Parts: sequence; C-alpha cells; structure tokens
Amino acid sequence: MKALGIAATGMLAQQTNVDVIANNIANANTTGFKTGRAAFQDLIYQSQLQEGAATSTQGTSRPVGLNVGLGVQGAGVVRLNTQGALTQTENQFDMAVNGRGFFVVTRPDGTQAYTRAGAFQLSSTGQLVTLDGFEIDPGINVPNNARSVVVSPQGVVQAFLDNDPDPTDLGQLTLATFLNEAGMRPIGNNLLEQTTASGAANVVTPGDPGVGIIQQGYLENANVNIVAQITDLIQAQRAYEMNSRSIETADQMLQTANQIKS
Amino acid sequence: MGTTSYVSISLATALERSLDLAAHNMANASTAGYKAQHPLLEAVDPKNSGDDTQAVSFVKDSGVYVDLSQGALVQTGNSLDVAVTGEGWLGYLTADGQTAYGRDGRLSVDAEGQLVNLAGNPVVDEGGAPITLPQDVGHLVQIAQDGTLTDQTGGILGRIGLFNVPNFDSAAPLGNGLFLPNPNANAPTPVENAQFAQGFIEQSNVQPVVEMIHLMDIQRAYERATHLMSDENELTKQAIQRLGRVV
Repeated sequence: MKALGIAATGMLAQQTNVDVIANNIANANTTGFKTGRAAFQDLIYQSQLQEGAATSTQGTSRPVGLNVGLGVQGAGVVRLNTQGALTQTENQFDMAVNGRGFFVVTRPDGTQAYTRAGAFQLSSTGQLVTLDGFEIDPGINVPNNARSVVVSPQGVVQAFLDNDPDPTDLGQLTLATFLNEAGMRPIGNNLLEQTTASGAANVVTPGDPGVGIIQQGYLENANVNIVAQITDLIQAQRAYEMNSRSIETADQMLQTANQIKS
Repeated sequence: MGTTSYVSISLATALERSLDLAAHNMANASTAGYKAQHPLLEAVDPKNSGDDTQAVSFVKDSGVYVDLSQGALVQTGNSLDVAVTGEGWLGYLTADGQTAYGRDGRLSVDAEGQLVNLAGNPVVDEGGAPITLPQDVGHLVQIAQDGTLTDQTGGILGRIGLFNVPNFDSAAPLGNGLFLPNPNANAPTPVENAQFAQGFIEQSNVQPVVEMIHLMDIQRAYERATHLMSDENELTKQAIQRLGRVV
C-alpha cells in the first residue's frame, strides 16, 4: 500500500502552496513585487502491467496499462510578470517602469541585480541609490545645487541647477530585459538575479519597441490580487485536509488488516 | 485456507491499489492539466481455466483508465499560461527525442527562447518542431484562440500544435503530466479546430467529493474482505474443534 507515501507528497505540496500564498499576501504592499504561484506536477508512475503487452498469441494486446502514480511534486514557483498598478507619489526620485524591463542595480560586491522597485534616493555623495544604498547602473550623480531632477519616459535624466532656466543632462537610465523573466532568481530586498534559465541581460533604452517607459513620480505596486490569494488559501487548506483523509483511510485499512486474525 | 480466503485476498489487494490511485488523485488535486485515474477491476472466473467445479470469481485489477473530462479553467493573467479548452493534447519533446502528450499549458521561455513546459520539455508546433520566440518578445507574446503566436506588432511567430492521440487509454504516463502514446496505435494527428485560452490554466479534473466517496467505499469493502477471511478462519476453527471432539 503506497497510499501513505502518496498522500504525504500531497500534504507537502500543499504546505509549499500555503508558504507561497503567505509570501504573496505578506508582500501585497511591497513596491515592484510580483505574485508567485506554486506549480505542481504528477510524480513518476510504477508500471505493474504494461499497456500494449500481448494477451494472446492471436495478436490481441492489453488496451490499458496498470500504472500507479506516486503522488505529486513541486515543479517551481512561477512569477506572474504582469504590470502592477502605478501609484503617484510625487517624489521626484520615485520611478516606475510601465511595461517590460528591470532597473539595473550594482551590488556592493560589484555584481549586478535587477529590480522593478524604483523607490530611489540620493546617497551622501549624490548618487542615485536604492533604499538599500545600492547604486543604480549606469550611475546617476545629482549635483548638490540641483533644484529639481526630471526623468523623461525615455530615461534621460536632467537637472535644473541653481537659477539656470535650461536643464543640464545628468545621464541616461537604461533597463534590462530577459528572454525568460520567470527564470530569474529572487534574492530578497526586491532584487532579482540573472540565471542560466533567464538568459543574459539585454540592456535596452526605455521606450524602445517592446520595452517599458519610465514614469517619474510613480511607484509600481505589487501585482498581488488579495481576493485570489485568499481563495487559493482556502483551496490549499481543503486539499491538505483531503490528503490527510487518504492517510487516515490507509491507516485504518492497515489496522483492519492487522485484526484479521483476532 | 479455502477458496474463500483467496477470493478475499484478491479483493483486498485490488482495493489497496485502488486506494493508491485515489491518494494519487487527491495529491494531484491542484496539479494543472492533471487527469484523474481510476482502477479497472474485473472478475476472473476459474471456469475459464477448465475447472468448472468452482463457482467463484476472483477480483483482478487489470488496468488504470484516465478520466479525459475537461478540468475547470482558472485565470492566472500570465501570458504564457495556455489552457486547451476543447479536444486535443499538447505535444512535448522528451529528453530522449520522443514526443509525449499532455494538457499542461503552464509554459515558459527558456534561455534559448524556446517555449517549454515547467520540466523544460519544448512544446511543439503542428509539424512537431520546437517553437522559438525572438529575444524581444518573451512573455509579450499573444496567443490566438487557434494557437497562433504573434508578437506585439502582429507578426506571426508560429502556432502551438494540438493533437488527437488515438487510443489514449493505452498511452503510458511518464509523470510531469506527460503521456507517451502506444507505439502500436495510430500516429497522433493535428486537431482541426484547436481551441486555446491564453492567460488561463486548466485545473486538475479530480473531483474531491468523488474521491472522498471512493475512499469510504474502498475502506468499507476492505473491511468486508477482511471479515470474510476472519469468518472463514472461525469456521475452520469450529470445524476442527467439533470434528476432533471425542464423543
């Protein structure tokens, strides 16, 4: 009787499911957060009778096989890369990507990470940095005497200095796109890393065909749909209970078997 | 032990396998594209073997059949999730180069731009070849109702294949939602009227209520089988005691 082990895989899968849903709900207000969904696949099958096996010498063969599956396994957490709603903040260093693309961030060890969270600030030296103090790449340095900073949808950063009526160019923001965005690895702090599954980063200019534009003064909300998450949570709990019933039944059947000779 | 016990054992063994199947179905209640599997039990009459003195039938679990009914569609909003809303199977290339079939439309793009399932098996077009998306398309791809893939400007990139698999009951399950067709059956043919829904997944077609009732059924039948064994044991015991008594 494999039912005990099979039901255990089902319960483990639902635990993963609940973990992922809890993380989504916890991040419902995290800037640039993308909803995850636990995806499951059926495990391998044990074949007790092979379909197509000959059942006579007259050429008849078995129409169906006897294959018992061994349960379920996690196949991954799929990130839902849809656009989150944009919220106006009126902060000149808040930027949202409307469309495809990630801001590029240089981590302290020199490697790059990618983010959709455009809540930037200035460092003590005037560099544009994330809330963790990581510089964005290519770096933008805002001089001390800047009255205000303007970012165009195409990512051109300009500043109005002192009393100069004409803006001064500070640099160009670029975005990175990936062939398989779902293959990027989340590393916390709103950052994602490139992996072999995601493919190499493709550095693009905002507003290019197929690339998003930058909206200054806005932040991208999490794309978590709370109602959908709660219904998923209910389903996960019921599925967990259902699997526990399989275990209970298997247990009681084994108990019955043990009582044959009483 | 008389025939009674062997009949009971044949039932109990078949029921244990049925329980495994029910547990497997319930474990996969949230596996997209999963099709419920049910046991096929049949009576084996020893008369067929030439011995007609025994009017009994044994239980034999002769196979597993797949419930091919449509699962419910759930909207995910992910552009690379595709649900098949009518007849037909998606084709996937396995690691050893064969084409397996399944209904799991949770697709993604791998680092080479190929459209793959979650296990990394490339999804094939109508000609049986993998589908590659250009770098700048990725998840911005549009999938029409007939499976045609287009980019943002409407340029056609290919078409997802949907196949009729003749004699599907004889296909061998490989796990990961894939089935390998029986090599003796007719070759799969493209479905004429393919129906896809982008942004949806087809849920498992396991019906929790039905599986729960199976569980209760299986458990009670198992108890009957074991009681039959106990009763026969008891009868034998009484027979030995009474016949052995010195009058």
